[in-house]
Amino acid sequence: MKCPKCMRPVDHEAESCYSCGYSEKESAKKFGSNQVLLSRVHDAAHCLRKQEKDVLNSAIDQLELKFPQMLFCAYLGTLPGGLNMSELGFWLLNHGQVKGAEYARPNENAILVILDMNAKKVGISLGYFAESLIAEEESYRALMKARPNLLNGEYGEAIETIFRRLCKVLEKKGKKMRKLSHEELQAQSKALNENTLDLPEHFAPMLGLRRRLRAV
Amino acid sequence: MRPLITAFSVTLLTAGGFAADIDMPEWGSSSESEGYALGGGLWPVGLLPDGAPEAEEGEATAVVAGGAETPTNPDGSPLTFYGPLTTTDAVSNAVGNDTSDAGEILDQPAQAPPVEALPPIEGELRNVYFGYQPVDFLIDPQRLLTEQKSNDIKRFLEFHSDESDFKIYVMVIGETQEIPDDIDLRKLHKEWFSDQNTVMMVYHREHPDLTEFVYNETVRSALPKSVFDRIRQNCLREGAATDFAPDQVEKMAIELSIQLYWLGRLMAAEGTEAEAISEAESVYDLPASADAPELLREYAPSIFVEGSSRRAVSILITIAVILACLVLVAFVGWIVVLLRGMDRIGGGPMIFPGFEPVTRLGGEFSGGGFVSMSFDINDTSSHSS
Repeated sequence: MKCPKCMRPVDHEAESCYSCGYSEKESAKKFGSNQVLLSRVHDAAHCLRKQEKDVLNSAIDQLELKFPQMLFCAYLGTLPGGLNMSELGFWLLNHGQVKGAEYARPNENAILVILDMNAKKVGISLGYFAESLIAEEESYRALMKARPNLLNGEYGEAIETIFRRLCKVLEKKGKKMRKLSHEELQAQSKALNENTLDLPEHFAPMLGLRRRLRAV
Repeated sequence: MRPLITAFSVTLLTAGGFAADIDMPEWGSSSESEGYALGGGLWPVGLLPDGAPEAEEGEATAVVAGGAETPTNPDGSPLTFYGPLTTTDAVSNAVGNDTSDAGEILDQPAQAPPVEALPPIEGELRNVYFGYQPVDFLIDPQRLLTEQKSNDIKRFLEFHSDESDFKIYVMVIGETQEIPDDIDLRKLHKEWFSDQNTVMMVYHREHPDLTEFVYNETVRSALPKSVFDRIRQNCLREGAATDFAPDQVEKMAIELSIQLYWLGRLMAAEGTEAEAISEAESVYDLPASADAPELLREYAPSIFVEGSSRRAVSILITIAVILACLVLVAFVGWIVVLLRGMDRIGGGPMIFPGFEPVTRLGGEFSGGGFVSMSFDINDTSSHSS
């Protein structure tokens, strides 16, 4: 895991970044400590037409039927120059309240797609639960797949593509998890919550060895 | 005075009328009508109903009305009329010709005139049938077929002889008539047609089952008897399809024509040029009746050896091509389905097992896991964090 501000590795249970000292409190100071109400497709930049928004909402409905625990939401805005997308995602997931999201879909299960129309950037913020299911590489592949749509200005289709791609990842993950026994699931959950620093392998040779053993 | 004048004038006019001699029409005497003859003298008196008694009273031969003599053959013998003769009795018994009371005739059922039995084939009739080589393809001197059908059959047989190697002669005789014992049809065939490919079909009126087919010696010796039996069987089957004699002859002649076509093919296949012909053309390319290829296959299997193997290979290739096309279509379809299914999310709801998260950086729901990418067309650098 990395710090949303300085992008340095952060420990799982760290209260603040060891490098820059960034934490949720700092983000609350920057963006506010209040709760904000969001739509599933929050188009603050007004770059989606109604038809695109309807199609996207319809697709999200379909995906939520397949994955009742997951929360799919998107934020489209024109962010000021000094604002970091990763910090905004971190703050939105901790302070945002998505309209219509029932109790079964807490923010920790959220997959939030952020589009900065000003900087022409797209990002994916994940809650704790979604983070445990979707690897960073998969998220990046989903973004790459949506790149043609983004270049063509088809933002609605791009967001739908990202969600669908991530859902395929979730589906594969779910099928794998069905085959695991309860003990194996517990072991996997424990491994995810291990108090280890997410360092490159050359900094933590024992961690790399353990990962290779787990893969085997 | 006036009444006296009136009475006088009436008396005068009546007396003049009685005194005048008026010419009134009268019926001619019976002796003047004896010179009239029905048909204007064109018909023999013996064949006319009214002239029958006179013919009987006259000389032994029939007298032609108008003083003409009885027609005779070139050799002087009297001409015998073989057509459906009308006797005087038959004519007098016919409806409407009876001189008795008309009411009584109407009450009686109409009776068909008795059919005169056909004479045996002998004498002049024998000469007409077997004396000379026939000129027409249809030999029917007794006119046993209708005129229209006879013309149709003649035209067909002429057409067949122009188009085919075989010629067909159809001889029609009566159902009760028999070919004389001393007449050998095969010898006759050889005498008439020498060794030409000719078939003579001897048909008995309304009895197709008695039909005989006479082939020339070369054809008979070239092929087994069963071939000719099958040809005969097919012809008889066609003839049995109808009861009307002219139609029977027509159908049998047509079937015989078809069968002779295949017989010609069969003989050519059996000949020395069989291989060359079988290579040059396929028998399946030829239009024919349905049973003809089986006939060839049964009696000339050699011409099918190469063709059948080639055909089997072509069938196998066709099947292989079809299967390959099907596999290709299935593969393309599978690829399409796979591509379309890449983004399709189907199936029932998927529930993940519970998970106890450990918070990070003080975040309640998220620890800042984030991935980003630039989609600015001028910015080629994309990064993930």
